[in-house]
Amino acid sequence: MLITCPYCGPRDVSEYTYQGDGNRARPDAGSTDNQAWNSYVYDRLNIAGEHHEIWQHSGGCRAHLAVSRNTLTHKVSAVAFARDAGHRKSDRHRKSGGAA
Amino acid sequence: MVDVLSPLKPVWKPGTHGNTTSGVGVVLTETQPGSIVQVAAWPGQEKKLIAAIKTVTRLALPDGAGGGVASDSKAAFGIAPGKFLIVDQNEGFAAILSGIMTADIGTVTDLSHGRTALRISGPKAEWVLSKFFAIDFSLPAFPVGSGISSVHHDVFAQIQRSGADQFDLYIFRSFARSFWMALGHASEEVGYEVS
Amino acid sequence: MSPRRIDTGGRRVDRDRGIRFTFDGKPYSGHPGDTLASALLANGVTLFGRSFKYHRPRGVLTAGVDEPNALVTVLKGNIREPNIPATQLEIYDGLTVVSQNRFPSLSFDIGAANQLGGKLLGAGFYYKTFMGPVVGPLKGTRFWMFCEYFIRRAAGLGRAGYDKDSARYERTNAFCDVLVVGSGPAGLMAAKAAAQSGKRVILAELEPRFGGSANWSSETIDGMPAADWAQATIAELRERKNVRLLPRTTVWGYYDDNMLAALERVSDHKRDAAKGEPRHRYWSIRPGAVVLATGAFERPLVFPGNDRPGVMLAGAAERYAAEFGVLPGRKIAVFANNDGAYGTALALKKSGAEIVAIVDVRRQVSEAAHAAALSTGGEFLAGHAVVATEGGTKLSGVKVQIFDAATGALSGDPRSIDADCLIVSGGWSPVIHLASQAGVSPQWDDDRQAFLPPKPTQNWIGAGAFNGSFSTAAALSEGDAAGRQAAGETDGPAEELPNVDAPALQSNPAPVFEIRTSGKAFVDYQHDVTAEDVRLAHREGFVSVEHLKRYTTLGMATDQGKTSNVPGLAIMAEALGKPIPDVGTTRFRAPFAPVSIGSLAAERYGDLKPERLTPMHDWHIEHGATMYSAGLWYRPMIYGHSGETIEQAYVREAKAVREKAGIVDVSTLGKIAVQGPDAAEFLDRVYTNMFSTLAVGKARYGLMLREDGFVMDDGTTWRLGENDFLMTTTTANAGKVMQHLEYFLDVVWPDLKVHLTSVTDQWAGAAIGGPKAREILAACVTGTAVDNEAMPFMGIVHGEIAGVAVMICRLSFSGEMAFEVYCGAGHGTHVWKALLEAGKPFGLVPYGLEALGTLRIEKGHVTGAEIDGRTTGRDLHLDWMLSKKKPFIGSAMMDREGMTAEDRLQLVGIVSLDNRPLNGGGHIVEQANPEDPANSLGHITAACYSPALGKFIGLALVKGGKSRHGKRAFTSDPLRNRFGPVEIVSHHFFDPEGKRMHG
Repeated sequence: MLITCPYCGPRDVSEYTYQGDGNRARPDAGSTDNQAWNSYVYDRLNIAGEHHEIWQHSGGCRAHLAVSRNTLTHKVSAVAFARDAGHRKSDRHRKSGGAA
Repeated sequence: MVDVLSPLKPVWKPGTHGNTTSGVGVVLTETQPGSIVQVAAWPGQEKKLIAAIKTVTRLALPDGAGGGVASDSKAAFGIAPGKFLIVDQNEGFAAILSGIMTADIGTVTDLSHGRTALRISGPKAEWVLSKFFAIDFSLPAFPVGSGISSVHHDVFAQIQRSGADQFDLYIFRSFARSFWMALGHASEEVGYEVS
Repeated sequence: MSPRRIDTGGRRVDRDRGIRFTFDGKPYSGHPGDTLASALLANGVTLFGRSFKYHRPRGVLTAGVDEPNALVTVLKGNIREPNIPATQLEIYDGLTVVSQNRFPSLSFDIGAANQLGGKLLGAGFYYKTFMGPVVGPLKGTRFWMFCEYFIRRAAGLGRAGYDKDSARYERTNAFCDVLVVGSGPAGLMAAKAAAQSGKRVILAELEPRFGGSANWSSETIDGMPAADWAQATIAELRERKNVRLLPRTTVWGYYDDNMLAALERVSDHKRDAAKGEPRHRYWSIRPGAVVLATGAFERPLVFPGNDRPGVMLAGAAERYAAEFGVLPGRKIAVFANNDGAYGTALALKKSGAEIVAIVDVRRQVSEAAHAAALSTGGEFLAGHAVVATEGGTKLSGVKVQIFDAATGALSGDPRSIDADCLIVSGGWSPVIHLASQAGVSPQWDDDRQAFLPPKPTQNWIGAGAFNGSFSTAAALSEGDAAGRQAAGETDGPAEELPNVDAPALQSNPAPVFEIRTSGKAFVDYQHDVTAEDVRLAHREGFVSVEHLKRYTTLGMATDQGKTSNVPGLAIMAEALGKPIPDVGTTRFRAPFAPVSIGSLAAERYGDLKPERLTPMHDWHIEHGATMYSAGLWYRPMIYGHSGETIEQAYVREAKAVREKAGIVDVSTLGKIAVQGPDAAEFLDRVYTNMFSTLAVGKARYGLMLREDGFVMDDGTTWRLGENDFLMTTTTANAGKVMQHLEYFLDVVWPDLKVHLTSVTDQWAGAAIGGPKAREILAACVTGTAVDNEAMPFMGIVHGEIAGVAVMICRLSFSGEMAFEVYCGAGHGTHVWKALLEAGKPFGLVPYGLEALGTLRIEKGHVTGAEIDGRTTGRDLHLDWMLSKKKPFIGSAMMDREGMTAEDRLQLVGIVSLDNRPLNGGGHIVEQANPEDPANSLGHITAACYSPALGKFIGLALVKGGKSRHGKRAFTSDPLRNRFGPVEIVSHHFFDPEGKRMHG
């Protein structure tokens, strides 16, 4: 699998570290909404298809990347610097816990 | 001035090694620059940083990811978004760069002791490096002056092509001896010279 | 003596030179270019091995990578390499080979008696037999365990060796525009066309010689023998700078994003590898486009006795004659379901063999085939089938009978025909493995009775026999088109395609796979799976092809069913009464052919495993340090004096620190430069305590939690400037912490102006501690005072030691008055030596990790053993560090119910009451009962002998924690048989008020 880093260009997946579901939105730092924190920390989407993920180019420029990847074909359709992609809003994110 | 101790000292074996029946494929050396400095711009300040680098080093960095230039005594290249590695034969370059770097442009980090500079040159340099990194080292894909950041297992490396068949590798000092030995091992089949 | 070397053919071998080798201890000779198979055949050897289950004699079936039978073990010194196909093994002087799976010898094998029990050993034999009785001493799997030893000795293939493989393996990465896999006429044309466009081309061929079928074909290309055309073409390619030729290279895997894996056998064919030359090289190739020109495998027919030595695939026989100059027999019979074998018969006759009969399952054959049959001079038996083979370990004849291809019925009396070789052709299967790995299921084609490649889902283009285009003319034109397409050329062919002169023989077969009559008829030779086994599996309900495969193990041997998959499927389809495409096929997986584990481990193995060394590493070694590996780092454990035990050494070292002074290398601590105007704000967010209030020139101990509220790491962070911090982490967590911080800066708080840089390797660090530490510093530091005023607790000063700039912070892990001295890594040894020199009059000693551990246990300081990912700040009595003034990572989750519960494991100290050592990992229980080690209250995280207390002590995580102080408990460690009483105490064993370090 190749991921095209916006800075370094296409690189082998072995240079990257998976850094989790990119659909999660962190509650405000001072938030006391336990449900929201629980959801942020523990809930992960397990999508069969187009998924938004965070990968770090840990063996390259070390930037975190927002990667859109099809989990069925491994096809990467879009890559951007995570810092430019901004906070993902929680609309794609389930509000409550529980397995699906 | 107290000498900087090379991490390669006990394994530094000048001379030719390996299979030299068809000549020396690569020359391996440690360049021991006086200064290895990382400069990093805040987003949007890259142009100002490049201008500041030019003021101090007289090296004109080209735009674009991994862009770089190398001369006999100085080198600079991009290693990450907004980040550059500046190398100078003289010591104390971090202080000079700090002098012109204002907080609104970015930061300066001295890595002169933290990175070991290894040079591999010769007709088989691309071949030997290909054993370590999943990088296309051919000249059109990796032009002279430009740099890349990559990794060989746990050994992080920043690499600049400083000539048509010459590459400078900046390796974490603690890994340098291991990597040097691996480099020698990989060069054995093409014959190598340590100088 | 049946097979022999002939005067014609043999382009691949150098008849002027001889090679001597041994097989089962017996010396033989061959020529350079020979495979073991061709050389042994030339010596008249037909028996190569014994079969997997029944120990049946087996010979050579094929001439290539598809060989299921002739597997041998190569011995190089003490290194055994089992299961090498003799057809792939190039001989060299001194080659030593032994046959496999025979006892006591190949020609007389006791295990062959297994054939008599054939009915018992059918498919599923193990599952059925070794379920074991329901009761009794051998109930359940015990029966299997009882029998396993004998079965493992009798069944199976070659035996692996026990010695360490001394061969060298390498891996490399390659990039190109076009990768051509296979160098037959199609592959050669593709490579040539792509190369002419100037693109970077790699041509990989698994054989030592490029040219594929052109090397043994009797056709002509452009008026010259096909083999000459191939060599001329390859010579042209060799001249081109943009072409890399990889002989002996098997492309074995096709992965995502057009990444292919290949194995180059660099020096297997040599007696001695050249200096630095690897045995195997693993290529990871990333081409823009791939041309798959992998050809086709000929299929055997399934009939009783089809495994007897002397039975060979037709194409293989032709290849031995043409390429190696070896005739596989004198009197050759032919058995086929297609025209292709007729050409082979003609070629073999031309080479001097007698064709005794051509047996074809078809009643009607093409005119061309008929004419060819007549000109071979052999008896032509259309509408017949071979129903048995005769002979012992060598074929002496075949039995034939009238056969109706439409019904499979046999009629008339069988009659014998004398023959010492039977060549068989059951049609051809395109080698679509790589395409199938890279995509979806293959497509069945009725004309060819074969699976054709699927539609590409990756960037490959097929050509030639791979596509089912079996004629050379088609291979040339498809190869040329594929090469141009792969190179991105859109124009028509630049020059005319070569002319081919070939007989008009079609290889499309009749749909006959099996001759069904009594006797063992093998489908999978290597795993001894018969046609009857397939039907048995069907009768027992295994109707899915995937289940069939697993139950019978069809296609699961080292050859991965290259000759058996399609016949097996056809027999299954017939049993099910379904057409073949409805039964489906299993998808091919990597690797296409066996890959050495060494090539996959390559540079990651042995001496080449990367190590991290501190700047003072060589000094430690020179001064008698015993080194620990801590992750990739190497650190001194003790500096043992002669005659000292480890315990004596660390006790001596720890005592010296408490009484005088000690120095320890702390260069491995993770160090991160945290720089920028928002650095202080960032640290406030990632640490549980405040850093924005820290003054420049001071350090502070910090605690970091994960988002879920558990402790992640601890360490001190030094404020070197307003916007400039130096964070230290534990050695083990340095990388993890860096990544954690980078994640938050990039993903969560991209608005913060902070840069993070790993500076672990920039600094050498030495911690010097003990009552004399300050005096030692005063004796060697210049440029700054080191007294209490200049350097209060957690104060930082800059100065020089022996002419080198140093940065000193007064902080203590040992509990003594202590300082960490940092300097540039390249000056580390210089400063270290200067400190030791200055410390000499004061009794300064270097100490290792064991003493460091002892000192910290005495002080109750936590490390990775306590910060194990399951402990909270409160569990470790670090609540005082959890700021209430600000949110921080983990603050929202750390107060959850389960994390504040009363019965959580908490940090305590324990003292051994029986004056015996404690073990880390031992449990703490209320009642010691070695018979029933249960009801654990917690566990010991670290233990040592404390010279300061004169006792064996430890740290433990125990339920109830503080409430148990002063109470008695027991340690229970059944694994090491250590049981005994302990007292639970405060984790602050020594100097709990910290008078010594505050001094």
